[in-house]
Amino acid sequence: MDDLTFVWQSLPELLVGFPGHRPGGILLSLVLAVSSAATGMVLAVVLGSMSASTSRVLRVPATTYVWIIRGVPLILLLLLVHNVSSPTTLLGTQGSPTRSALIALSLYSTAYFADPIRAGLRSVPPQLIEDAALLGSRRSHTLIHVRLPFALRSMFPGLTTQAVTIFKDTSVVVIIGVADLTTNAQLVLGADVANSERWIPLYLAVGSLYFVTALALTKAASVWELRLTRSRSPIDLRTV
Amino acid sequence: MIRCCPMADWLTRDALDRLSDGIVITVGLTAITTVLALLLGGLLASARQSRSRGVRRASGAFVDVFRNVPALVLIIFFAFAVPTVVPQSRRTGLFFDNWLWDALNEMTGIPIPYYAVAATVALVANTGAHLAEVIRGGLSTVPSEEIESARLLGAGRLRVWRSVAFPGALRSSFPAVSSRLVHNMKNTALASLVAVPELFHSMQGEIARSFRATEFLTLVALVYLGLAAVFSMTLERVETHLLRGRRG
Repeated sequence: MDDLTFVWQSLPELLVGFPGHRPGGILLSLVLAVSSAATGMVLAVVLGSMSASTSRVLRVPATTYVWIIRGVPLILLLLLVHNVSSPTTLLGTQGSPTRSALIALSLYSTAYFADPIRAGLRSVPPQLIEDAALLGSRRSHTLIHVRLPFALRSMFPGLTTQAVTIFKDTSVVVIIGVADLTTNAQLVLGADVANSERWIPLYLAVGSLYFVTALALTKAASVWELRLTRSRSPIDLRTV
Repeated sequence: MIRCCPMADWLTRDALDRLSDGIVITVGLTAITTVLALLLGGLLASARQSRSRGVRRASGAFVDVFRNVPALVLIIFFAFAVPTVVPQSRRTGLFFDNWLWDALNEMTGIPIPYYAVAATVALVANTGAHLAEVIRGGLSTVPSEEIESARLLGAGRLRVWRSVAFPGALRSSFPAVSSRLVHNMKNTALASLVAVPELFHSMQGEIARSFRATEFLTLVALVYLGLAAVFSMTLERVETHLLRGRRG
């Protein structure tokens, strides 16, 4: 019972962080995931379009970027970004572990979103693109108004799965001491040997928090997807 | 100090030796977890199609749990939390200090072999659960006629699974399986947080020794890139082998 009381008393730290260091805990994990997934998504649309392009000058840098980021462990990318970027001032912000985490996670999600977007752009029926050209649409216009909406829609499940993965991957920020759920779990337990009976219940709580949140995000994504497919399609394929 | 390269004064022969020891452990950990995760993934994928409802439910729950908890949390749980189940007085004798761990330590050179085993269990459970989902998708693409014909030819259920269903599923889901396995290779770096002396851990040691963080981080990033490239090429060869085995 004592262990359960301990977990219960630690819940604020696990959910929203230590007083004076909020947001922390799983709230910070979510903030990190949402903001870097959003940044990554925007950059990935650019990168994915580049790597689906026929021009080598556009394609090669984009595919190289994706190849490099996908070949290096996130934890290493995080340390590298932290090491290089923390002495610098960027957009008026001082170096901090949280800023490094945001940069590294954004770079990471860009690479992981770019691949499905590229595949989605490839899957656009050529007929559709030719029709748009026949109707006098410029290539950039076709990309923005025809190919990207089509690709994003067909790749939606893949992209949301990736976004949930990024949420789980935020746990590696523990290595630079960002006060997310994983870090706060370690801080709550501390180095006290007498605490050892509390490891199991506390980590079960931490695991459950990640589990429930990831499952809820997945559920929300599939509801969103259902609404997207039910709503009016930007390209009604029946008329194509 | 003996220097390895005239241009890089930070990369001493000793540092290079210690990094290579780390690479060996990373490769070993990758090999073991890859094989075990493939087995677990295949097993779970077929368990989810079992006729028994209990087996379907249990394997589904396993996959959901181990996919949705971060690999790092699993590693810490198995390495640090699980030993606390046993009372303090018996903990050391059971998890850290007996002839089995001593033998493992002797064989691998890993200071605390239990942590390496815990990290292996965590990575296998995590990657196995992810693979189960991917392979399950692949199983649905194996034509039911193929399975029925094999059954008609007198093959037992296990034989059908081993020679028809599983290879077929693996073949059609190979790109996803392969990218998950490469991801698993990169995830072995997380074992450094429970003191497994793999590449990332040895890199941290070198940084602490020399204070040359950027240099070592870049070097080790390149090593991981190389390992990832070699590993995915190996997987591609395995795939063509699988395909050839089918056509020939």
